[in-house]
Amino acid sequence: MKTLNRFLIRMRNLVTGRRGDQRLREEFEDYVAREAEANIQAGMSEEGARRHARMKLGAQEAIREQYHAEEGFPLLECLVQDTRFSLRQMRRSPGFTLVIVLTMALGIAATTTMFTVVYSTLLRNLPYPQSERIVAIHDTRIAGRSAGGLMTGPRFYDIEARNRSFSSLAIFYFDESTLIAGKKLPTYVRGAGANAGFWGVFDTAPMLGRVFDARDDVPHGPQTVVLSYPGWQRLFGGNPNIIGEQVKLDQQTATIVGVMPQGFSAPGGVDLWHAAQLTPDSWGNDRGDGERAYSVFGRLRLGVTVAQAQADLDRIGEQLRREYPSSDGAWRFTSETLREDRYGPVQSALVVLLIASALLLLIACINVANLLLSRATTRQREVALRRALGASGRRVAFQLFVESVLLALAGGVTGIVLAFVLTRIAATSLPGTLGQPGTIHMDGIVIGVALLISVATGIVFGVVPVLEARKVQLLSALKQGGTRLGGSSGNWLRSVLVGVQVGLSLVLLVGASLLAESLWNLMKQPLGFEPEHLLTVRVLLPWNTKPEAVRNFYNDVQQRIQNLPGVEAAGQISAPPMTDFHVRGSFNADWLPQVANQSAISAENRNIAGNLLMAIGTPLLAGREFSAADQVSTVPPFLVNEALVREFLPKGNPIGHHLLLDGQAHEIVGVVADVRGVSGTIAAEPGPAVYWPANANGGWHRYFLVRTKVPPEQLAQSIREQVHQSDPMQSVGEIGTMEQLLGDAVAQPRLNAALVALFAGVALLLACSGIYGVVSYLAAQRTQEIGVRMALGARRGDITRLFVLRAMVPAAIGLGTGTVVSLAANRLLRSQLYGVQPDDLRLYLASLLVLLVPLLAATLMPAIRAGKTEPMKALRAE
Amino acid sequence: MKTKKDVQSGTLALMVLKTLDVLGPQHGYGIARRIEQISGDKLFVNQGTLYPVLLRLEQEGAVESDWGSSENNRRARFYRLTRAGHKLLEAEKRDWEQTTAIITRFFEVKAEDLA
Repeated sequence: MKTLNRFLIRMRNLVTGRRGDQRLREEFEDYVAREAEANIQAGMSEEGARRHARMKLGAQEAIREQYHAEEGFPLLECLVQDTRFSLRQMRRSPGFTLVIVLTMALGIAATTTMFTVVYSTLLRNLPYPQSERIVAIHDTRIAGRSAGGLMTGPRFYDIEARNRSFSSLAIFYFDESTLIAGKKLPTYVRGAGANAGFWGVFDTAPMLGRVFDARDDVPHGPQTVVLSYPGWQRLFGGNPNIIGEQVKLDQQTATIVGVMPQGFSAPGGVDLWHAAQLTPDSWGNDRGDGERAYSVFGRLRLGVTVAQAQADLDRIGEQLRREYPSSDGAWRFTSETLREDRYGPVQSALVVLLIASALLLLIACINVANLLLSRATTRQREVALRRALGASGRRVAFQLFVESVLLALAGGVTGIVLAFVLTRIAATSLPGTLGQPGTIHMDGIVIGVALLISVATGIVFGVVPVLEARKVQLLSALKQGGTRLGGSSGNWLRSVLVGVQVGLSLVLLVGASLLAESLWNLMKQPLGFEPEHLLTVRVLLPWNTKPEAVRNFYNDVQQRIQNLPGVEAAGQISAPPMTDFHVRGSFNADWLPQVANQSAISAENRNIAGNLLMAIGTPLLAGREFSAADQVSTVPPFLVNEALVREFLPKGNPIGHHLLLDGQAHEIVGVVADVRGVSGTIAAEPGPAVYWPANANGGWHRYFLVRTKVPPEQLAQSIREQVHQSDPMQSVGEIGTMEQLLGDAVAQPRLNAALVALFAGVALLLACSGIYGVVSYLAAQRTQEIGVRMALGARRGDITRLFVLRAMVPAAIGLGTGTVVSLAANRLLRSQLYGVQPDDLRLYLASLLVLLVPLLAATLMPAIRAGKTEPMKALRAE
Repeated sequence: MKTKKDVQSGTLALMVLKTLDVLGPQHGYGIARRIEQISGDKLFVNQGTLYPVLLRLEQEGAVESDWGSSENNRRARFYRLTRAGHKLLEAEKRDWEQTTAIITRFFEVKAEDLA
């Protein structure tokens, strides 16, 4: 209590700057006067009495200091003093300060930005109540290709009826619809049909109105719609009176009942949710491949672990395998947490990038340490002087610490500001799930960590100059002239730092070249189609449109687009490559043995119409394309891709063979080339695919692919007009180019490669400037020695060689170590690599070369300059 | 002066408290004088130690001070014991007596007493 009280008083004194100086002076006066009086009474002269009195009082300054120590915090005051001094020092050499601050800022900004991304995705709780209890449930084929984890409706309802682990279960599917609000033109919207349980799983209150519940989610009930925040903004301009408004969604009346808050993105990218109005009977007996369109999430009951839930799912899966062997036999349920589901695929890339940015920070810090070290050596005289004037070693060290921490803090704060800007950019421009609004943002914790890291690096890398300062020999430092002050102290340390820096740069450079090589491999893959000059146009009819109307509408649009000037070819497909779209079918084949309850072939299904193969540029390898007759046939023929032939009929000719489906034989009339990116990812090898005539199949789901002679964007407007003329109730969805889709598909690997390459470039720059600094410093330090050597007959080349060797030996050691570290560290990259091994020797050699050339240049420049020293000048400087 | 000892820092506070207890409100000079006097001029009170000690006691709430005029009409700062100061003095006194008693016993003990 007493101590606290004193602390508070001291604190107040410190803050208010209050000093008892006046009071103390008066006490002094009082003391001297009284003592002098006593002395006079004892018989002294007045002057002598006062003098004695003062002597008895003692050194007033010393007393004052002790008194102040009692009043405030001496350590804090030192800190304030040192801070002022350091700031003065920083102002005095602005160039030096700027270089250090910028170098630090670069490292901190890179690390902080990466950490923000990692923290926002892999560490921070997702923005749902008790988000760790939300589990994604996938349906996975026990062997072979799955459908992206999507489930059939009946299997979902089986889980709902039989599980003991989930308090609510969400089923939803993405769909695309046409929305007509009031008198506005039809608008294309991305929606999700969801069950009532969806809201129980994500458990987030709407911002306006309500969410829909079990009463809305009944077949043929009145449709209710909940808007997402972006959808609310885009479609209704954020109108707050929207609740209760009636709209037409796919030509059915629907009521808007709620608006979700801004951050709610489950799933991301949708404009609205509407009640799916499904029941267990919605699919009849169909549990097969074709019905896999549903995402499923569950909220764990209290006290149930993820592992227990998985065991529960395994039990249900086992039951279903026994009950429905023909459709469910090959499938099992898998589960993962919502976080894993969302960010699992990018986790390793993020960790790699975080490590790379940390390496960059380390290199930046080493540069800063090197600079501080050089300056500490030139400041030995100042340190010696202060020591001679009575400053303790600890006091000097404290001062140097304050200086480096201040520099680090300045760098750190600049870096954080920079990171703030970068994070804002990253929050919207990162590819995929990372770039979803509301995902990535900085908060106090990130800023705190970044500040902590800055101060810590300031302290760690301030140690070096402090250690140097402690070695200062007072007498010799004061005696000697300026130029020779350095001696050789600290040089070995400098060499070590250079070595480490060069080694780390190599690690980054090798990593960058591995990622760049993967990206290159990925991009140069034969795609199976020609992405240039290809427009993708989303046109979508309501799912329950009659087949006749579907056929007429799409044929009409096909004709209209074909007739537009600038169009070379146009075709239709249910989903173009690079879109994450899963419709698979199970087939038997007339050339393969048939086993009961087990289909021979599982293949991606795509419906095509129009002049698709020509439009997309996929070659027909054998047989023929679909004819007009095929498009109206009741048992239409198929086209298959090379992968299917390779896998199931490697030796024979597939043309004329049949694929069997539901007891009907569909003839294979042609073989087309494999197309990459059928299920969204470009890295996956194309699997078997079957193409159907779209109009015969009744598929209402179409993209138009339009090959143009003119820049594809020019046609967008006229295509919109044509579709609108064909059916004024229809909207045209996204019009994009295939090159955009392709760019999105490689966005993540491209980002990885670009970032690591950027880090490596900066690291290389820092390493070069580091080595340049060291060599110039050495040369400056040893000017006289050079003079003597030259006077004794050394030639310029000898001098240059001397310095090059001094710098390159540690660099070479660093490179050697860096190679070993790279070999170990780049294993981390393995999951990010495509078509290249992490120990690819070519890339190591290339990286070494890339690193050596600028390093040599940075070494040679000052070394040659040293060689040009005039011996007489150098000696005269003595 | 050479024979005089500086007051040990820990004990100065105790002496100050006791002096104020006996004399009532007193100024710095008076306190120093009185301590030296009581010690039979064997102790020397360094003002550089005295003022910080007074300040600390004040911060701890053991003494209060304000300006007043002394016998000969000079402005001086008078220090006065507070209730907390009295309590502190009592506690310190007990402590001190206990310590001296122990030390005394140590000095008086003889080898045969321990047998």
